[in-house]
Amino acid sequence: MSNLATKFSALLCALVCVAGAHAAEVKHDLYLSVLLSGGGQIMGGRPPAKSGIYRSTDRATAEHVGFGHIRIYNVAPDPASPAGIYIAALDGVIHSPDRGATWRILTGWNMTEVKGLALDPNAPDHIYAGLPDGIGVSRDRGKTWARMNAGIRRSFTQTITVDRTQAGRVLAGTEQGIYLTEDGAQTWRLVLPTTEVAYDVRQSPHDPKIFFAVTATSGALWSADAGRTWQTVAGIPKDRTLHNGVFDPRDAKRLALCGWEAGVQVSEDGGRTWTDRTAGLPSRKIWSIAADPDFPGRLYASPYQAAVYVSDDFGRAWKPAFFEKATVFNFSFVPRP
Amino acid sequence: MKLRRPFLVLLASLLAAAVGRAQPSHAGPMPDRAPIADASLRRAAYLARVDEALVWRAGLAKPDNPATLGLGEIAAKLALRQDAAACSARLIELMKAPTGDMFWMFPVTIISHLGRDQLTPEAKQAIRAAWRNYMPLRGDTENHWAMYYTSLYLMAQLWPGEGGDRWFNGKSSQENFNEARDYLVHWMEITTTIGQGEYDCTHYIGEYAIPMLMLASWSADPAMRQRGHMMLDYVMADFAVDSLDGIYIGAHARTDDRTVLEKWNALSSFFGWLMLGNTVPQAAYGGWGVYFTAAARNYELPEVIYRIGTDRAGTYTHTERKRTRHRWRYSDERNPPVYKTSYVTADYAVGSDQGGQLQPIQQHSWDVTWSVPDPRGVHNTLFANQPYWSARDLMMYFTEKPDSMPGDVTFQGKPTYINEEKLLGGSPYEQIFQQDDAVVSLTDVPAGVTFQQVNGFFSKDLALIEEDASGWIFAQGGRAYIAYRPLAPYEWRPLEVGGKRLRSPHGKNGTIMQVAAAREFKSWDDFKAAIRALPLTIRLEPTPSVTFTTLRGKTLVCTFGALPSVNGRTVDRAAWKLFAGPYLNAEVGSGMLTMTHGRLERVLDFNTLTITDRVNR
Repeated sequence: MSNLATKFSALLCALVCVAGAHAAEVKHDLYLSVLLSGGGQIMGGRPPAKSGIYRSTDRATAEHVGFGHIRIYNVAPDPASPAGIYIAALDGVIHSPDRGATWRILTGWNMTEVKGLALDPNAPDHIYAGLPDGIGVSRDRGKTWARMNAGIRRSFTQTITVDRTQAGRVLAGTEQGIYLTEDGAQTWRLVLPTTEVAYDVRQSPHDPKIFFAVTATSGALWSADAGRTWQTVAGIPKDRTLHNGVFDPRDAKRLALCGWEAGVQVSEDGGRTWTDRTAGLPSRKIWSIAADPDFPGRLYASPYQAAVYVSDDFGRAWKPAFFEKATVFNFSFVPRP
Repeated sequence: MKLRRPFLVLLASLLAAAVGRAQPSHAGPMPDRAPIADASLRRAAYLARVDEALVWRAGLAKPDNPATLGLGEIAAKLALRQDAAACSARLIELMKAPTGDMFWMFPVTIISHLGRDQLTPEAKQAIRAAWRNYMPLRGDTENHWAMYYTSLYLMAQLWPGEGGDRWFNGKSSQENFNEARDYLVHWMEITTTIGQGEYDCTHYIGEYAIPMLMLASWSADPAMRQRGHMMLDYVMADFAVDSLDGIYIGAHARTDDRTVLEKWNALSSFFGWLMLGNTVPQAAYGGWGVYFTAAARNYELPEVIYRIGTDRAGTYTHTERKRTRHRWRYSDERNPPVYKTSYVTADYAVGSDQGGQLQPIQQHSWDVTWSVPDPRGVHNTLFANQPYWSARDLMMYFTEKPDSMPGDVTFQGKPTYINEEKLLGGSPYEQIFQQDDAVVSLTDVPAGVTFQQVNGFFSKDLALIEEDASGWIFAQGGRAYIAYRPLAPYEWRPLEVGGKRLRSPHGKNGTIMQVAAAREFKSWDDFKAAIRALPLTIRLEPTPSVTFTTLRGKTLVCTFGALPSVNGRTVDRAAWKLFAGPYLNAEVGSGMLTMTHGRLERVLDFNTLTITDRVNR
């Protein structure tokens, strides 16, 4: 996308978002891990636009941060440093101590293509990285790493979620289901078998015992006992790859999920019933969604290779917000320093 | 030799000037394929080819148009020790906007090393700044990593003792050096013990050969220098033994839609031209070829490899064990074995793997390649495949989410991936067995799989195609007679690029191919009669099965899902060596390769990093 187009998009968004932005206290920066050069972009090719991380501090404009890689999957805040961020990327786990001004790749050649990344809020030096061939764990903020996936047979790991209530309690979404460790990855046990990859596991911001997961072929799953047991969420088809399932940080009963040809589905009653809220988006191929912790009712959606859309009524109406042709791997909200 | 080089450069310059921007060898007559026995003449011819490519590439730069002076032209000029000032000035500009990831890293690394005593301090500073400010992506395949880590290794060596704040990835020179070294040693170890993952690639051979030459040329550590040299020998031997007239034959981990038909038109043929001298280089010397030639004076192909690549006086069968690309999902084994067979004669070569989904997209499983006087524009091959694609199988080899990828790869240089007439790709529903110059391919495609068919690709350059009442299709390519037997009914479809496609729309299916040299028969009719007389039993239900006695008198029993047998003895490829045949031999896990031709023997021992040459009695 040209600079002109970027600026136009930003201006458009500013016009439509400015009222909302002024109405709320913004405590987080929004980071978008994004591919902007289309599905045909190959590694080593000349990208037509700068992919990577974009940061929005005003929810109206987004500035590029760092380097222009086409495979940066996620951003996580650094619990030990207000200005620090970690990213999960094809090149490994990467850390910036200064909001993206400088970077250091923390992992080596044998821990790459990091999909999931989580830091333990109760043990801030501990980092968990979901790898295509296991789980990488660092106990010293990334200085050294060990592969710790004992007990996981097929170790492709897409997502890592640390239970915020207990140090060393972690759930991993893998090729064959969700695994749980309660000893900091020393041992893992399968708590939810699936036939294909579990793509997202989230802990409720309202009740730490509740977890919500979405998968490739097993639909959406719900746990009310901190991930020990799981039930299938009714009303969600299993014939679509589901990418994200999110809680509304402002409303304990409100959830959303998305996926390829699954559109955006919203529940207002804690997952009992679901409503399709894809209308207004350019396709049902939704790569990712996110609920904004600073703006009540605000939902973001990234239709595949399209503009990023925003809704201020949790999906009833959508409008374009960022970019023209993007795939957002993940939206992340990082507390402001 | 020092006296000879300026003369050769002058000669090549005159040739280039005489034909404008035409490439002398690319556009010129075919070379004499007779091996050159005299070592000094062989070396001189090699250096002349090196200089031809360098002079041509350097000549693309026009003094009045700086945009024509790119990294390739700068590498060529520095290798020729020309125009260092102009190269320096241009580099300062080029380093302001780096792009290309590992494909940017290795040319800049070559330029940096060639330019150590030529580039201006300002140009060197511009390069240094680029390696701090531009973060190249490491990539996701074996060839990416060879380029990335070789470059990182050599640049960390070039700029020792610097802190992480001086490098794009925040790691110090020592950290980068150690990590790159560890990866390279790891790759060399697995390649020489369980096989290469991107094996026998018609294009990507360059992405291994160039980094290994870089290490052999510029590593300060004698051990790594030796490793680079030995791995380059290894890659070249692997190519030479599977070549015919300088063309890569048989099964490939990766090739492309053009090369799979026009077998010569690949970067591998540049190495056939450069190293073996028995073919012509393709346009622009394969593009990347210039980067090899920029340091090629530092390498001399061992005579034993040269002989293996050029001696086609007799026929031979050669087998190899390789490995698949990394399997991230849907497999309990990360790199299952790949078994390859090649049967090579002066007139043709037949090659195959065992079938199955061994690579995600660009796999080529079996074919016959016939010798032609001039391969330019010629589709000198015949093959068949079971067209197959699936998001799930892509997910096995890639870490992406599933649904967008099949469509995306068609925009990533693999345009036919999801097509019914696709030329490339393996199928989990195909099993292949080769004995000598006979191939039996069986397919058993479950209901519901997208394409329930087998496609046979009949070249525009076949001299004859005859459909026989016996069920055989007889064809002639060059001096090769080919008998092709579809196991189920078929129809013909035109091929856009010439030739035609045999489309057999049946899931329980297969193909038998028997090839022979025309000189083995008194006439075309004699060949056909001999084929018709071969005992053959075909059964398709409930499981495809063939019992076939080949022209070489061996009875093959092949049943889908079962191990094949030859003359009643079961063939279990699990016991195969890494290389086996008259020329190359290596045990699995050994870290050693023995190359033999006539009295010549060369042993590469990666355990001791030693090369042992012998002339046997």
